Amino acid sequence: MKIFSVALGILAAIGGFVDIGDIVFNVAAGAMFGYDLLWVVVVGVGGIIVYSEMCGRVAAVSQKAVFDAVRERVGFGAGLVTLIGAELTTLLTLTAEIGGVAICLQLLSGFGYRWLVLVGVVALAVVVWVTPFEWIERIFGYGGLCLLVFALAAYELHPDWGAVANGFVPSIETNDTLVFLFFAVGLLGAAMTPYEVYFYSSGGVEEGWTPKDLGVNRANAIIGYSLGGILSVILMIVGGTLFLLHGIEPESLATVALGAEVPLGTIGLLVALVGILFAVSGAAIDTVFAGAYNISQFFGWEWGRYRSNAGAPRFTAAWIAMLLAACAIVLTGVDPVQLTEYAVIFSVVALPLTYLPILLVANDRAYMGSHANGPIANILGIGYFVVIMVVAVSAIPLLIATNVGQG
Amino acid sequence: MSDELDLGLAVLDHQILDREGRRCGNVDDLAIEGGPGEDARVVALYSGPGAWRGRGRVLGRFAARLGGGGVVRVPWEEVAEVASHVRLKKTAAEYGLGRGDERIRSWIVRIPGADL
Repeated sequence: MKIFSVALGILAAIGGFVDIGDIVFNVAAGAMFGYDLLWVVVVGVGGIIVYSEMCGRVAAVSQKAVFDAVRERVGFGAGLVTLIGAELTTLLTLTAEIGGVAICLQLLSGFGYRWLVLVGVVALAVVVWVTPFEWIERIFGYGGLCLLVFALAAYELHPDWGAVANGFVPSIETNDTLVFLFFAVGLLGAAMTPYEVYFYSSGGVEEGWTPKDLGVNRANAIIGYSLGGILSVILMIVGGTLFLLHGIEPESLATVALGAEVPLGTIGLLVALVGILFAVSGAAIDTVFAGAYNISQFFGWEWGRYRSNAGAPRFTAAWIAMLLAACAIVLTGVDPVQLTEYAVIFSVVALPLTYLPILLVANDRAYMGSHANGPIANILGIGYFVVIMVVAVSAIPLLIATNVGQG
Repeated sequence: MSDELDLGLAVLDHQILDREGRRCGNVDDLAIEGGPGEDARVVALYSGPGAWRGRGRVLGRFAARLGGGGVVRVPWEEVAEVASHVRLKKTAAEYGLGRGDERIRSWIVRIPGADL
């Protein structure tokens, strides 16, 4: 039975990994540079594995989630700056996911976009309000598995598999280096989105992990994110095969879904849209919780998705407020895909502030005892921290220099 | 509790739990007594927006004003345990901690399904 439940968890993780940032950046990167950026996806997935494992370990050993650690390690002032940065990028990400929900609903139903924004937000709010969290995770995780239709699509599109394999070899071969680097930064940011570690570590605390669960934590992080990363790779292969060849840039989610329609017909299109809808809705729920976790932990409020709505009142109020704010922003009519690009790039800037406290706490033997970072975790952790720093510093200049990747 | 405690890292900014394990604020500041040449000792901890005023400069003052400026002083004798969290001997209500949650709860419970 245990294997069965682990397998279910893994399935949910595959469907739950991909969010609108991954969908937009992977397909667009494929359309721009074929398979040349595949190796960056691998680097990004490695980063999220390293830091999720670290956060999960800190949660299991010390019962501290990310923003507990931030507050304790960098103090009130710098911590508050970190919190504001994290909440703004999380809100931006949530806004992008909700825009994605509305677009999927629109493509499936044909009704007006703004009405569907409201329908989507109300539906998400009701689901979060009434549904036990285990169900939410499963429903959206399994629904997101519809995205595997892109695997079939990739196969049917007959990519040059030799070229695909070549894409995993790190190289920067292009005549437009700046745009290439912009997409590399975006792919890293999409894979290492900070809300995922906020959510993951808080979940570990809520599930009452102890050092006995360290094996589960490691398996979750490594297997879950690797398999989720495969979906990202598949999306880039579809983008690289279909759109590079045809010179289409996927500026909207409708074009992304074309990636399944061209080789597989209407059924492919429908399954792809349903998959995107579930993946993006699930990500919206994770994001909204992440925002509520952060602020509650920073100020010491009661929190928890496993508590009743009234059991953690300010936590509940926080997610409702986030959802309303995101809804208001989407209703102004900003383009969700463009919003996604900004959300991912600004998340990248906030990454070092999130990961440094984790690295410090994971190295603190006073908390962690024998479970503190060993040499391997530290080499990887510090190595990725350097990558994150470089990427964070270059993200905004690249955004400006390339006019959001337009070249 | 071990004999030696790094107050800056092990107490300040940590989560406060009441006797029942309820999260009811963070340690926002410490009251330390002892003149020059004497042993300094912690006599109380502070929790609440009023304690943010002295921290984080302009941002802290702004947050304190936004939060209403209230602060609760908990005598150090009331601390039962300092582990990964700071655990108190009585319930949050007895100290007046976690009142923000109570205030918001009175709104939340009006919505159907609040206890789901």
